[in-house]
Amino acid sequence: MISISEVEYSYEDGEDAKKALSGVSLEIRDGEFVAIVGHNGSGKSTLAKMLNALILPDSGTVTVFGMDTADEKLTLDIRKKVGIVFQNPDNQIVTTVVEEDVGFGPENLGVPTQEIRKRVDRALEAVGMTDYARSAPHMLSGGQKQRIAIAGVLAIRPDVLVLDEATAMLDPIGRKAVLDIAKRMNKELGITVVMITQYMEEAVIADRVVVMNEGKVAMQGTPREIFRRGDELRKIRLDVPVMVELREKLAAESLIPDTDALTVEEMAEEICPLLLKN
Amino acid sequence: MPIIVEKLTHTYMPGTENEHVAVDNVSLTINEGEFFGIIGHTGSGKSTFIQHLNGLVQPTSGKVTVDGFDMSDKKQRQKGRALVGMVFQYPDYQLFDSTVLDDVAFGPKNLGQSEEEAKKSAAEAMKTVGLDPELFGEKSPFELSGGEKRRAALAGIIAMKPKYLVLDEPMAGLDPSGRRDVVATIDALRRELGCTVIMVSHSMEDVARSAERIAVLNEGKLYALGTPDEIFSKTQELIDMGLDAPQTARLAEALRQKGCDVPESIYTNERFIEWFRGLKHV
Repeated sequence: MISISEVEYSYEDGEDAKKALSGVSLEIRDGEFVAIVGHNGSGKSTLAKMLNALILPDSGTVTVFGMDTADEKLTLDIRKKVGIVFQNPDNQIVTTVVEEDVGFGPENLGVPTQEIRKRVDRALEAVGMTDYARSAPHMLSGGQKQRIAIAGVLAIRPDVLVLDEATAMLDPIGRKAVLDIAKRMNKELGITVVMITQYMEEAVIADRVVVMNEGKVAMQGTPREIFRRGDELRKIRLDVPVMVELREKLAAESLIPDTDALTVEEMAEEICPLLLKN
Repeated sequence: MPIIVEKLTHTYMPGTENEHVAVDNVSLTINEGEFFGIIGHTGSGKSTFIQHLNGLVQPTSGKVTVDGFDMSDKKQRQKGRALVGMVFQYPDYQLFDSTVLDDVAFGPKNLGQSEEEAKKSAAEAMKTVGLDPELFGEKSPFELSGGEKRRAALAGIIAMKPKYLVLDEPMAGLDPSGRRDVVATIDALRRELGCTVIMVSHSMEDVARSAERIAVLNEGKLYALGTPDEIFSKTQELIDMGLDAPQTARLAEALRQKGCDVPESIYTNERFIEWFRGLKHV
């Protein structure tokens, strides 16, 4: 479990420095799939970087499986538990051969060579990139590079996978591949997933959505609960998924009954009977 | 005068083991004043294609002319290139000066404007993209948010007053309000400056809403060219190609598969609502 308690953080010093996080408390339970949404500058990426001690709170505490991130002696152990994949795949690739790149993390942690081999093979299999083990990373597409970056994190065998806007620069196929992998890791291996995203459509697949605004947790709940609050979301420069917008507008004119449908499939289920009756 | 692309082919590393035909015999015309969308998945050749529009890369065969200037000819290319502004996907790579105003003024200065003129052009361009020069001019580009950086990069290009504006994924990586701001900026550019906009995007929602004509590239070939009505009436084909049809088009398709009669012109929420309203009043 990850516990975030009364965390404050500012990128600048001084009394009136703008706070990136101001009094954030949040718990992330084992095996949960949490989406964190918020506009640029809402503090969501700062929060993500707190989860494996890349950034330490000015005040308050972050504890990862009982370990305080402020304790430097524990940093390496924390990073074995929590792996992060960032937005730009090009900044995360360090070697010239895919399998070396995936093995880089465990090697740094002192994992024995034979064990590394096993982990690299499994990780590449998990992200569907086995055929590319000997390829040069720079020849891959953005989506494939992100899958390699995820494999690199999986090779560390973390309990928590953090995706910090990992799909932002990808095309629809690349984005779907990354989301499918995250979902599968969560369901099949029980890995906790924390997904930071700008895309409301992506947040729909989470168990819980945390909405950040001005360095605070503004709302949280299931996707169904959160996306019934469209007006509040728009006030803090966010939005609802396209299908939710359609549902809101149709329901506002009483053209369809009030529902909590979120996806294309659910909307089709709601609307089809009305059309066939017509 | 238009941009005319004739039988354009671009082959990377020809004659080697890694030979790859990125653009394959594409012909099309982009008309003055048009909002032209280009869609296609990663590897469809769209990035290579747009790099030909200002002569950044040269055709293996075929020809690109911009307002009559042959982009394969060194001298003519310079004139043609001055007409075509390109804004790339990562604004961080396009911003480098110490203040936003200096950064935006770099282009016009390069075109031979005096320091003072260039700063004036820069301030105007910043206003057009909705960045107040008083508030943002003296800031460092790195203090800007993602959406502001994108608009600053855009200002740097429009300060050179290009006739054609090529935007590569202008909305990628922005939050919903940043996306709305960039859309509003593009609309303003078209309205106020009469720019021709050529937009490459993964976001079918954005293309469906804005473009007047759309080219679909697939495996380097021009798969389809038409109005949004024509392109998005082929939802299932787009999905099969690995593209992401607009959500509303997907809904219409899902309804058809359940036996409902939904017209092919329904691919945005606005149209769906209008159509649905009409049904209820029958």
